[in-house]
Order: sequence, then C-alpha cells, then structure tokens
Amino acid sequence: MKIEIQNLEHTYPTGEKALDGVSFTLDNNERVAIIGQNGAGKTTIVKHFNGILRPTAGKVLLDGVDIEAKSTPEWSARVGYVYQNPDDQLFLDSVRDEFQFGAKQIGMQTGRIEQLLVEVAELVGLSDKLDVNPFDLTQTEKKFCAIGSIVMMDPEVLIFDEPTMGQDVVGNDRLAHIIDVLHDQGKMCVTISHDMKFVVRCFDRVIVMCHGHKLLDGPTREVFSQVDTLKESFVVPPPITRIGQALGFEKTVLTLDELVEEFSKERAK
Amino acid sequence: MVGANDKHILETPVGRMNPITKAGVALFVGLTALILPISWLGFVFTALYFIAAAKGNILKPFAKIIFSFGIPITLMLLFIQGFYSPLNKTFILDCGFAKLGLEGVLNMLHIVGTLLTFLAGLYILNQTTYIGRLVAALNDIGMSPKAGYLTLATLNVVPQMQRRMHGIQEAQSARGLSTGGSALERFKAFIPLLGPVVLSSLTDAQERGMTLETHGFGLKENKHTSLVTNTNTPTDKAILYGAAVLFVVAVVLTVLNGVGIIAIG
Repeated sequence: MKIEIQNLEHTYPTGEKALDGVSFTLDNNERVAIIGQNGAGKTTIVKHFNGILRPTAGKVLLDGVDIEAKSTPEWSARVGYVYQNPDDQLFLDSVRDEFQFGAKQIGMQTGRIEQLLVEVAELVGLSDKLDVNPFDLTQTEKKFCAIGSIVMMDPEVLIFDEPTMGQDVVGNDRLAHIIDVLHDQGKMCVTISHDMKFVVRCFDRVIVMCHGHKLLDGPTREVFSQVDTLKESFVVPPPITRIGQALGFEKTVLTLDELVEEFSKERAK
Repeated sequence: MVGANDKHILETPVGRMNPITKAGVALFVGLTALILPISWLGFVFTALYFIAAAKGNILKPFAKIIFSFGIPITLMLLFIQGFYSPLNKTFILDCGFAKLGLEGVLNMLHIVGTLLTFLAGLYILNQTTYIGRLVAALNDIGMSPKAGYLTLATLNVVPQMQRRMHGIQEAQSARGLSTGGSALERFKAFIPLLGPVVLSSLTDAQERGMTLETHGFGLKENKHTSLVTNTNTPTDKAILYGAAVLFVVAVVLTVLNGVGIIAIG
C-alpha cells in the first residue's frame, strides 16, 4: 500500500494545533519509525492512517483514495492499529475470541480465520493460551494478544503505538521477530516509539517530529548522524551510537558489532 | 466543573469566591424563592444571577442553559397549569378548547422561577469552581478527608469514564467494529465497549486505593493538610450571611402569611 500525506494539518476541538503542514509518502513494505518528544504530533499523524482522526486541512491518500471516502471500520481491513494500552482493545472471554473478532468483523472466510489463528498464535507466542481469558494474561502477554488480534485481520499496514513499553528482553526479541515476519510478508510496519534501541534494530526509515512539523526524514543511519538537528527535538540516539559519535568515528554506528568494527579500523590506523 | 487550568474563569471575582459561599447562596436563595408565594421573585433572583455569571466570565453558556431550559418548561407548564390547574377561578383567556386561568399562570410562574433560581445558582457553583477547591472547602467545615475523597472520586468518575469510552471506541473501530448506523446497530456495537470500560474502571479504583494507602491517606494520628486552600474573606462572609438572613426573613414571612397576620402574593 502507498500512504501519501499531503500538507496535513490537524487542530483538536480544544484549539490545539497538533499538526502544521506535514507531508511524506510511505510505500510497500517499508519499516518506518516515527519519533519525537511528547506532544510532537506522532500519535495524531498515525491516527490519520486509518481515519480515526480526519484532516483539518491537507490530504491523506491510501493507494490514491482519499481517507475521507471510507469510515475507520472500513479502512481497518487494510490498516491495522495496535493501541498502546491493550486494555482499550481487549474485551472478550478468551484469546481465541479476541483473535477471531476483528477478522470476523471484516468478513474473512472461516477457513482462512482457522488457518491464520494457528499461524498468528505461534507468531505472538500465545499458542498454549488460546482459551485463557485475556484479563488473566500478564501485561506483556496482553500486549501480544492485542498485536495478534490485529495481525489476524491480515492488513497491508500495521501501526504499533509504543510496542516496547513494559516489555522485557524476551518480549523485545519477539517483537523484532514479528516485525521481520510481517516485513517479509510484504506488509508495511509503522511504529511510534521512544525506545531508540528498538528503532535502530527494527526500522529502516525514521521520521522525526517536532511541534507538529516534520524535522527529519530518511534512512535510520542518516537521521541519527544529524546530532544537532536531533537535539532540537530532544531525541537522543541510542547509547552505542553516542559512544561512536563521542569517539569521533566518521561512520554513524548503530550496533555493537559496528562499533567494534569501527574501533578496530581506527586502531589499525 | 472547570479544570485547574481554566484561569479565565477561576481568576474572576466569582471564581475566587469560597465554594461554600456559592453553595450556600444557591441553597438559601433557591429555598427563599420556593417558600415565598411571590410569582415574580424567582425571576428577580435569576436576573441577579445573570450579573454574577457575567462577573464569572460564563455569561454565554449560562444564558444558553437558562433559556434552553426556561423557555420549553415555561411553555409546557403554561399549558398544563394555565389550562388545567384545579386552582383556576379567574379566567383571562378563552381558547375554545380550554380556558386560561390566572391562578394557574401565577402558579406556573412561581414553579418556573424557583426552578430557574436553583438551576442558575447551582450552574454558577458548578461552572466557576474547581472541584478540588470545593472538596477542600468541605473538609474545612468538618467533612472527613475520606468522605471528601469519595466526593471527588464520584464527581471525577463520569468525565474519566467518558474519556476512557472514547479511547475504547476508537480502538474497537480500528478493529472493524462499526459504531454508526441505526439505533439497533449502535446498541449492538455498544455492548463490546462496556466490558473494557467497567473492568478498567474497577482496576483504576483498586490502583487508586492502593496509591492512597501508600501515600499515608489512611493515617489517623495526624490532621490532613491540603495543597488547595480556601480563603474566607469578609465579602464571602457578608454574602453568605446575607443569603442566610434572606432565607430566615422568608421563613418568618411565610409563617406570618400562613397564620393570616400578613398577606403575601
């Protein structure tokens, strides 16, 4: 799917202008992270991707179709949105019912639902908890249940709002795996995150928001190399990257392996 | 209720007034309008409340609520009381299907005037008072902190649940649940939303209870102090005592009228 954001503005009923002329295009199975300080307009912008919020001015086009043409439930078959708080999303008696709910809402065939149920439960690690009441899951498991319920709808785009919040190392690894699998299936993954380690690990493109404007947009390495501009938005690159920058390496390093490699090169000089 | 940040209302003379004064005035003036059998009195009080609303920077919403309540209720009661009140003896208009009685019309004016007086007083209290200040003021006059918290929690729970409901509604529509359409469809869509709202409210209440305990709310040895303080200025006292005196005078006049020493209305 192609998402085109053209001069998007959004003003809340309170009069607060959350977006002030933002434009960019997302395409195919891109992995995009939207970052920035609180109140920068990150959530506001992604809530336009499935029509939860409607533009005050400007346009949002999904594969060329104006977002205004359909309602959010209609768009939900193509654009999935995983909420930050799983308690907003989950309400049924079992994980199985949660997984099937959205798929049934959009009219998916029963056979397809059964097939996806097995795959998705395996992917999010809840295969042996399908009959458990979501209320009895741990907070981490609830989050994966919420993710599973959206993946089950088989959308072309998935939006994850702060997916690493409250996750441990195992949870983060699973999340990274889920994003890899969805990427390989040709799906676009968009995240809003404050977790820069997660951003550099899983996302190829980064958009930095600041006071309702787009500050930076580009490949992850390029964005994190622009230290001065990042400071404007109070975004701090991941620790490994900062070590590399403090040591004066020419290349912006994003992983431990890259740091070691650059360090070896410098020492050889 | 206004939020703590609505300075354009809270910083006005009416906004700064002690919440107990506002509550006392609403009660005493309302009761005065109720017990004195003078049909125009309530309208005089309502007119005075208009001045207070203007001083409190809430004239527009105040006028809107008074007129949107006052006009339909007047017309409705004019019809019921004016045409069909058993008090009717003097008829002032013959409409063919029924006759309009003077006593019924006067009674209607008294009822509407009283209702508007209570509505206006309570609306001004509600719209110019930060809830935290109201509870602090109630604590000042001897209400226990526990009862104060209960009041605060009760008054806060509705807007909180509304916000939560809105969030959940968004999350469910993002799962393909249509919340529009016919009344039946909307009702069907409403059921899945109720579960998370009720459950999360219960969890919230439990968590807040635990938070209060860890903050020493249950301690009985010490007198609780409050971050929010209320001043009781001479003006506050004068207004409150004035309203109380008005009420006492009204009671005396009503009793005298009742035993036939004087005749009112």
